[in-house]
Amino acid sequence: MALTVSEALSRERAVNRRQIWSVGGGKGGIGKSLIAASLGWQLARMGRRVVLVDADLGGANLHTCLGLPAPERTLADFIQRRVETIEEALAETGAPGLRLLSGAADLLSAANIKHVQKVRVLNRVRALDVDVVLIDIGAGTSYNILDFFLVSDVSILAVVPEPTSIENGYRFIKSALYRRLRAAAPHGGIRRYVESALDPKNDLGLRTPVDLVRRVEQEDPAAAAVLRREMSSFRPRFVVNEVRDERDVAIGHQLVAACSRHLGIEASYAGFVHYDDAVWRSVRRRRLFMADAPTSRAAEEIRQLTRGLMKGDSLGRGY
Amino acid sequence: MAGGDLYDVLGLEPGASREQVERAYRFSLELYGEGSLATYSLLEPAEVEAQRARVREAYEVLVDAERRRAYDEGRGYAPPEAASLAPAGPDAGEGAAARIPRVLSGAELRRMREARGVSLRHIANASKIGVRFLEYIEEDRFAFLPASVYLRGFLQEYARIVGLPPARVAEAYMRHLPSRS
Repeated sequence: MALTVSEALSRERAVNRRQIWSVGGGKGGIGKSLIAASLGWQLARMGRRVVLVDADLGGANLHTCLGLPAPERTLADFIQRRVETIEEALAETGAPGLRLLSGAADLLSAANIKHVQKVRVLNRVRALDVDVVLIDIGAGTSYNILDFFLVSDVSILAVVPEPTSIENGYRFIKSALYRRLRAAAPHGGIRRYVESALDPKNDLGLRTPVDLVRRVEQEDPAAAAVLRREMSSFRPRFVVNEVRDERDVAIGHQLVAACSRHLGIEASYAGFVHYDDAVWRSVRRRRLFMADAPTSRAAEEIRQLTRGLMKGDSLGRGY
Repeated sequence: MAGGDLYDVLGLEPGASREQVERAYRFSLELYGEGSLATYSLLEPAEVEAQRARVREAYEVLVDAERRRAYDEGRGYAPPEAASLAPAGPDAGEGAAARIPRVLSGAELRRMREARGVSLRHIANASKIGVRFLEYIEEDRFAFLPASVYLRGFLQEYARIVGLPPARVAEAYMRHLPSRS
């Protein structure tokens, strides 16, 4: 027998415990990388073994958020098979328990990695022997980005209280959900409906995922049930970054209500982080505020957010 | 959105208390308010306007005991408990007693407050307790908190305004104190 019972159990525990978290949001410049870096830092601080993955393949800068020089090895080395295993491409961060898999800033074409390469990366990332893999996914709604979001156990959607960010956030949610529904569609007829719904000006009058499911229901109730099941398991968790007052805080509750009432999506409100000059000062010093300004309001809010995400808590519905 | 169910319009379940109807109404007015960020790009201005009208209509029926009873009967909903239809009184929040954990941290307290949509500023105005002290409580900054006898009073005021059972909250937070200090 290759493994003793206790070895087998501890290995199984490790596998069961491992979670994939991702931070997305559609728009650039809203603090996704800082949120990912600080969540990863805090998880490691709480004793979890964490790998941060910088999947912003075109504009990787998680290392800068962590105050590190550009790592020698990156995801590009793995994609181009210059290293054999993904473990060899990991960089130590100096924080115990926290390692970084840097994006491929030196490889512009990596932003368009081929499907087989992406599947290879996803499979290897999933197989890493750690507690949490935390993926900072890039801006935009390309398939690569959406797939990182969709494979996650905890899908965090970052927004800031500005119209551009909210607009991109909704676009991101709809694109991700439709990609999931398309993959789950039991046959070509249903897939075509999903594709129609993707076009906001489609002739079928399908404006929201709710319209889509209702339409499918008329033709194929069994397929509609499949789509409904997919929709109910799609549960993005909002984080509102850079809030300045109570009205900004309330936007998270309102987004959850709007998703439920108008998109048929049961999102939740994981938490918020105040706009904080301490964060900005740390960024300028190229240090992570969690270590550089641990008593700042933003650092305390990240600690709360991390604890809440680990327990699966949310801020309730706001009324 | 689907159908015309008045409870759905306000994001409520049948059987909601009068207080919940009031809260959901205020929340929905904000959600569909002029210049609301949360509906930006999701709904057209005309849809937002239509939604506001539905919210008002739903509220007018559900806040009126007579009209609500007729509506519930028509839909086959069980009537809400009579006591829950009264406007919120001094005992509000006692029903939430079962949900207060034995030990309560500042962060948990804050979560409960935020979940009920009550701002610290509102508590400060209503209780005359300084915002800073309320923040210290939520941030567990024990060194800055006043003596126990005052702190207990602050906690009870806080809980009362948020709509939580005052005695339970004060006890649970006080239990949290020595373990951290």
